[in-house]
Amino acid sequence: MNDAKEYMDKLMQELRRGTITIGVLSQLAEPQYGYSLVTMLGEKGIHVEPGTLYPLLRRLEKQGLLNSKWDTNEARPRKYYLLSDTGKEVYELLINEWQQIVESMNNVINVQGGEKDGND
Amino acid sequence: MEMIDRYIYAVTQKLPQSQREDIAEELRSLIGDMLDERVQGENITDDDVEEVLMELGNPRHLAQKYRGNKRYLIGPDFFDSYMLVLKIALISTFSVFTLGFIIQTIIDPVTILDHFIEYIVSLVTALPTAFGWTTFGFAIADYYGEIKAKDLEIGNEWKPSDLPLIPDKKRQIKYYEPIIGIAFYIIVMIMFGFSNEYFGVWIFHDEFSGVVPFLNEETYRTSLLFIIVIMGIGIIKECLKLAYGKWTYKLVVYTALVNLISFIAVFMLINGPAFWNPNFLLELTQAGLITEGSEAYGTVSMIWNQSTTWILVLLVIGLIWDVIDGLIKATKK
Repeated sequence: MNDAKEYMDKLMQELRRGTITIGVLSQLAEPQYGYSLVTMLGEKGIHVEPGTLYPLLRRLEKQGLLNSKWDTNEARPRKYYLLSDTGKEVYELLINEWQQIVESMNNVINVQGGEKDGND
Repeated sequence: MEMIDRYIYAVTQKLPQSQREDIAEELRSLIGDMLDERVQGENITDDDVEEVLMELGNPRHLAQKYRGNKRYLIGPDFFDSYMLVLKIALISTFSVFTLGFIIQTIIDPVTILDHFIEYIVSLVTALPTAFGWTTFGFAIADYYGEIKAKDLEIGNEWKPSDLPLIPDKKRQIKYYEPIIGIAFYIIVMIMFGFSNEYFGVWIFHDEFSGVVPFLNEETYRTSLLFIIVIMGIGIIKECLKLAYGKWTYKLVVYTALVNLISFIAVFMLINGPAFWNPNFLLELTQAGLITEGSEAYGTVSMIWNQSTTWILVLLVIGLIWDVIDGLIKATKK
């Protein structure tokens, strides 16, 4: 059983890696700083650790999907991230791809379940 | 609060200089937010700080995430192109020095040993150099990532007709056969190159006291040139086999042509009166191995005088068999 859990953890890690990116892009139509993103995503059921999210934000910025800006007006200076034009485009495309994946996966999983039921 | 500075330092010191300050600021702001949420308006204690830092995790791992886990010289994007360029660099370096060695040897065969040593030394220095510079170049390209991997997709285009034929077992030439052949020719070349004085009948009077050479020492330099050319022709033949990889009619024709040329060269070489040592029998007698007029003398002189003919006959049989063997294998379906 422990083995199964170990494999599951590894697979989940791989599975999450891509979905977190989509999750992050989805929240950045409005400027957000890192920790507010952690909270927002957490409230929507997507748990991401700051230690994962912060490097990810920088990488997406480097790739040109996000723009960033320091806001030093508040008591605590914060770096805000926002989708760039490319980022918006990529996000639109990603949503389509994602919906197709969900659909296909549903088909696969449901068909298997159906067969099982039939055999029983 | 000092703990926070130490944590941030531990993370950022492992990151590129240019990003340190920005990441430090962002981390500080993040830790502040996390602390605020944790204490909800109460005073911040050292325990709170510690727990927040524990939540952020090992600074080394965090730094690794910032760096993007890039722990290689040449990444998967470049690896195929790298291997291709590396092979080309190594093979051409090797060929250049080998060619240089062969040319030097033909021009100045007597000092073949010097050439050979020089050749080996050059290879030992040049091959790692070629390897090093190629790797260095790609590592730099990978590090700065300016060149997109797509621009480098040399040799990655592919179409079904490029697929190699499945080798036909019966017609196939095992790759080691020509290599052994080439090695043999080179060894013979080197042997003739610097140890003619040992190519003959060894005389022992209690201890080694000299050699009666088979070959004419006065014309030896010309003979050596001939020998090297003949061996060179042999090497060309083996290279052809290596390149074709299997017996075909074309290869048989080439082999026949090359064999004919090498036979003519050998014929011209050993049929000339100056090739063999003209004083061979005399020197043998002087060395006390045989006495003139004895039965042994008769046998030796008969063998000696007919050797040219027999060598040529054996050579012809060998060369013709080479062609016939190839022909049989090429005809096999």
